[in-house]
This record gives sequence, structure tokens and C-alpha cells, in this order.
Amino acid sequence: MSTVTLPAIAPVDSLPITPAPGDAPTLSTASLDEESREWLRALRADGSERDAAVARLHALLVRAARFEVGRRRQALRHIRGDELDDIALEAADDALMSVLRRLDDFRGASRFTTWVYKFALLEAAVKLRKRAWQEREVPLEPETWNLFASAALEPGREAEQNELLREVQQAIGDVLTPHQRRVLLALAVDGVPIDVLADHLETTRGALYKTLHDARRKLRRHLDECGYALDDLEAH
Amino acid sequence: MERHDAEQLLGRLLGPAGPEVGCETCFDQLDRYVELELAGADPDAVIPGLRAHLDGCPACREEHESLRAFVAGA
Repeated sequence: MSTVTLPAIAPVDSLPITPAPGDAPTLSTASLDEESREWLRALRADGSERDAAVARLHALLVRAARFEVGRRRQALRHIRGDELDDIALEAADDALMSVLRRLDDFRGASRFTTWVYKFALLEAAVKLRKRAWQEREVPLEPETWNLFASAALEPGREAEQNELLREVQQAIGDVLTPHQRRVLLALAVDGVPIDVLADHLETTRGALYKTLHDARRKLRRHLDECGYALDDLEAH
Repeated sequence: MERHDAEQLLGRLLGPAGPEVGCETCFDQLDRYVELELAGADPDAVIPGLRAHLDGCPACREEHESLRAFVAGA
């Protein structure tokens, strides 16, 4: 077996991202496109003008949240349509609060509408994942776990992948902390959505992903030291 | 326990090989990334590590796909 050097994994969130044109300490609205500038002006106005802008914004967010529901409707067909629409409206309401609270965070790196849509899509996606798992048990720290029981091996690659799976299984038991093992198995093997697991463990999605990232890095480092070549693995 | 293709299972266990951003940076940059993609630019040169994160984080990947589809059709 040839020894390979795996690409280094940088600490999460330490990568150099090219600043957007509006990333100055004080944003000049002159750098924004006309439509985005008008949105900001109206939402920062007083009285009926602001109310009207908030209502228009809410309508956009409802449309985005319903789009997300529509994308997932097939997988959620056991949930009544009016409940799904209630989820979309609730997602739009929560997204509206987030957008208004974070209005000063908008740096003009995209159009204002693209920036706000992501809040509605996120809120709807998180609520729908949680709703889909509402009646399911979140598996944590099973007494026995076996990666081979979860894998459908193709005959041609069986020997090679058997060996790698065996090494990964051993490493999960040997090199990970109990918390890393619990998080990795729940997310990567049992397919628990990260928002559902975050709620269950009373933590945040970002903190859980950091744990997952650290666990994966430990496993890769261990496999590297054992001489396994991993460059051709798809991450998902 | 769900059944997975062995290679996909290994990919989910080991994650992306390259450097990646976290979920917070992904959310902060997602609108910019999608607009660069839809404009035919190279978002990975501007926002390194976001693509790797999408490969490693199913939730962020779903939200990226939704935002891209929604903005493309809006």
C-alpha cells in the first residue's frame, strides 16, 4: 500500500475570503444596486412607508418559504397541506424578524432580495427537517454499531472497501472522543439532520459541525498514518 | 439503520478532503456565492472552502440548492 499525504484541513472558518465591494467598516449605500438601495431606504423610513415595505418584504419571504415547502412536499406527504402552509408562514415570520434585526449586516455582496431569500429558505428548511423527525427517535450512542450493516457493498470494490471500512470502524472506536463518536454516527450513519441533533443535544448547528469536522480530521489523519489513499472519495 | 452505498458512507464519515468553512460562514456568504454561480463567475476563487463545506454538510447543501433554484427562477 502506498503512503499518501492528505490535503491539510484548515480550521473551520479560517479561510481567506475575498471582501465584497461593500465590506467596508461603514457601508456606503452608493455601492449598492438601485433596487437594494431602495429596499434599505424604505425599511429604514418611518410610519406608513416602512409598514408598506415590511409588508412587501414579508410577501417575498412567504413566497420563498412556500417554495421550500414545495421542494420537500413529496418527502412530507404524510403531513397535511394546511400544516405545511402554517410552517411556511411561520418560517416567513421568523425570517422577517431576522432580516429586520440584521439589516445593518447587509453588505451589498448580493442583491438585497437574494440576501433575504436565504433567511426564509433556511427557516423553512430547519422547521421542515424538525417536523419530519418529530415522531422519530434520535439514535444516540447505540450499544452496538456496525458500519458493515449499513453499507451496501458493490462486488468489484468489496475487498478494498471492506478493508477501509474496517479501519474506519476501528478508528471511530479508538481515536474519537465519546462526543465526537456520538455526533459522527448520528449525522453520517443514521442520517439525523444536524438541526434535529443540535436541538436534541441543546447545542448549535455550528458547534455540532465543528465537532463533526474535528472527528473527520482525526479519522483522516489516522488513515493517512496507516497509508490509505483517500483522494478519490466523494464527500457525500 | 439506513443502508448506504459503501463509498458514499465512507465519504460521509470522512468528509471533504480540502479546507472548508463552517456553517456560519457558509450562511453569511451563500447569497454572494449563488449570485456568482448564476452569473457564470468562479465563486470558489472568491469564497474558498464553501464548496467543500457544501460537500460535507447536507443541511447547507440543501439550502444552497434551494437558494440557487429559487433565485434562478425568481
